[in-house]
Amino acid sequence: QVSVLYFARSAELAGLRCETLRVPRQVTSLQLWEEIVRVHPRLAVIRDQVVFAVRQEYVLLGDQLLLLQPGDEVAIIPPISGG
Amino acid sequence: MDESEDVPKDFIKLKSEKLSVDEVSELVVSPYCGAVSLFIGTTRNNFEGKKVIHLEYEAYTSMAESEIKKICRDVRQKWPSIKHIAVHHRLGVVPITEASVIIAVSSPHRAESLEAVTYCINTLKASVPIWKKEIYEDEYSWKENKECFWTNSEK
Repeated sequence: QVSVLYFARSAELAGLRCETLRVPRQVTSLQLWEEIVRVHPRLAVIRDQVVFAVRQEYVLLGDQLLLLQPGDEVAIIPPISGG
Repeated sequence: MDESEDVPKDFIKLKSEKLSVDEVSELVVSPYCGAVSLFIGTTRNNFEGKKVIHLEYEAYTSMAESEIKKICRDVRQKWPSIKHIAVHHRLGVVPITEASVIIAVSSPHRAESLEAVTYCINTLKASVPIWKKEIYEDEYSWKENKECFWTNSEK
């Protein structure tokens, strides 16, 4: 079970900022995205623009294998605009 | 002179109150430094002909602070003479002309702090998880920095 955090446009599309999701311990970042889109189909439109932050490190959507621990934080990161 | 004046410090703050240039520059002033360089990011009142009413910022706060800390660490590696670094970013509603970010860096001579401030703001825009929403009269828009390292604007 991981904590999924939604920000900016992804929070608007998902309709929430935070939830716990049950996901496999070993999963590629793309598979994790697909799990999340299953729960929140409206997120599909931003697939090409987002990355993840897993335990506060950026991860691109792709084949990278994630080893998730219970309670890990996974954030959906739309294109940033700080500064 | 107090021994603790020697220790270089990073001052990182994300806050919803109005930012103060005086406060941020005073954080980095040091008797060992002849230069304090500053960047202030302010909010413009227009974008592509649309009137901007105000900006709203949100952040993945814990990660934003750690990414800014990484930037400070990189600055100290590139410019070892840098003394203090302060990065204050505002969150929530920011009215037009008010500052959304203030970066101040002190160093013994001016070249290093001027370069370091430029590096800080450019890298912040590329890597710190903070988002800006521009509110217009009839609509709003989530902005995207061209520096954002994962968006391919040529798509």
